[in-house]
Amino acid sequence: MVLAEGVRKSFGHTEVLKGIDLRVDPREVLVLLGPSGSGKSTFLRCINHLEHIDGGRLSVDGELVGYRQHGGKLYELREKDIARKRAEIGMVFQRFNLFPNMTAISNVTAGPVHVKGVRREVAEKRAMELLDRVGLADRASAYPSALSGGQQQRVAIARALAMDPKLMLFDEPTSALDPELVGEVLDVMKGLARDGMTMVVVTHEMGFAREVGDRVVFMDDGVVVEEGAPAEVFGNPRHERTKAFLSKIL
Amino acid sequence: MIAVLVAMFVNMVVTNDAFQWSFMADHMFTPPVMEGVRTTLVLTVYSMLIGVGFGIVLAIMRLSPNPIISSVAWVYTWFFRAVPRLVLAILFGNLGILYARLEIGLPFDDQILGLFGGGGNAVIWGVDANDFLRGFTAGLLALALSEAAYMAEIVRAGIQSVDAGQTEAAQAIGMSRGQTMRRVVLPQAMRVIVPPTGNETIAMLKDTSVVAFVPVSNEMFFQLRAVGTRTFQVFPMLVAACLWYVALTSVLMVGQYFLEKRFSRGVASTARARARMIGGSH
Repeated sequence: MVLAEGVRKSFGHTEVLKGIDLRVDPREVLVLLGPSGSGKSTFLRCINHLEHIDGGRLSVDGELVGYRQHGGKLYELREKDIARKRAEIGMVFQRFNLFPNMTAISNVTAGPVHVKGVRREVAEKRAMELLDRVGLADRASAYPSALSGGQQQRVAIARALAMDPKLMLFDEPTSALDPELVGEVLDVMKGLARDGMTMVVVTHEMGFAREVGDRVVFMDDGVVVEEGAPAEVFGNPRHERTKAFLSKIL
Repeated sequence: MIAVLVAMFVNMVVTNDAFQWSFMADHMFTPPVMEGVRTTLVLTVYSMLIGVGFGIVLAIMRLSPNPIISSVAWVYTWFFRAVPRLVLAILFGNLGILYARLEIGLPFDDQILGLFGGGGNAVIWGVDANDFLRGFTAGLLALALSEAAYMAEIVRAGIQSVDAGQTEAAQAIGMSRGQTMRRVVLPQAMRVIVPPTGNETIAMLKDTSVVAFVPVSNEMFFQLRAVGTRTFQVFPMLVAACLWYVALTSVLMVGQYFLEKRFSRGVASTARARARMIGGSH
């Protein structure tokens, strides 16, 4: 589903991704771990082209993201084509980023109505199903400011799902939440994983990684240090840096 | 203390015969003055509509990643903020001196066609400058173009006040840059844009008085001054102008209150707008 080959990215003179090779299979849940500044969030943002990549190749579902190839060189796509590709990839942000001027249900219908041109009644019916799935059907007409962090994040997940994505990206979805609200968001994500959604999750929730992750990738300093099944990486880390990181956080 | 000062002021206003209250009341609502009030309002509305619309375009241009587009907007804003409206109004009123006709066509058409030995030109559309820039249009242009420069800065501040995460979220669900701006960023920027725009509208209502110098002869201030000079009752008519501007501005403030309420949907309460309306502190 996702194929990264030697992906590089710099901010100014700082290289934050130093050649990432990674593969995510369909229906797989991949958990990205690593200390802050390791480049895991940046890599996630490269997958839907919120960040340009400076080298290597990155494709989703067999298509390059943000670029087209012509005679061995890569050219950035036109904005419209980038937007079309992005619509296939759902993203959930650390700080929810719901649209504060729209109710919960309008947040969910915004994509289908304005991007896909779905009729409003149809989109609203589907939005209600999705809100029901994340347990918030009764808050459909609430503005984000009236929702708790956990509720906002669940609406954000419903908003991403409304576009029927092939792939879902989660960028530390529970890091901005109060501890007692983390569970409700993780439960929704577990449900998604059970239903076979392909997911790439950046998180510090080791319990979630162990229970739901099919594979764990540990990144540090812009490179993939180690990857494997959760039990393997957590139980028997091979690399010193992985051991050091896990001893701090477990 | 304040009560004493107010009492002294009222005493002065009532007893000083130069105020000529009855004369003022008689001449404040005559048909030419009412026509002037109408022109003032129409000028305010039109110049604000053009100013806001063009200002939004300029603000988006200014924030464009393309350095040429961005600097065009910067130069425009720089020029029109630098020149006083009064000067602009008189300048536009006299553009007829510079050009007999205003025409849209291909640049250097006379010279190029001349090179090929032919005559003629490549004018697409033209109009007599003195007709076109007669009074109202010149005044409207001066006010609207200058307003656009101020509005551009206000809109830019509004756009920049919206969290970058909003743009990312909109892009992540596949919105184009235009859709993101229209559906997500601008509606949120409005909360920051509306209050200063209310200010601008009020300022504009008063600044329409400068078009008296274009001259726009059916404008309110022009009319009131004309009555004053014709009848040698200058001061009462100036007071009349003050009263008219105070009355119209008050109406606009009420409108601003409701606009602010409308655009603060989903954000805290409207208490702040109400506080501003009744002059409370916040």
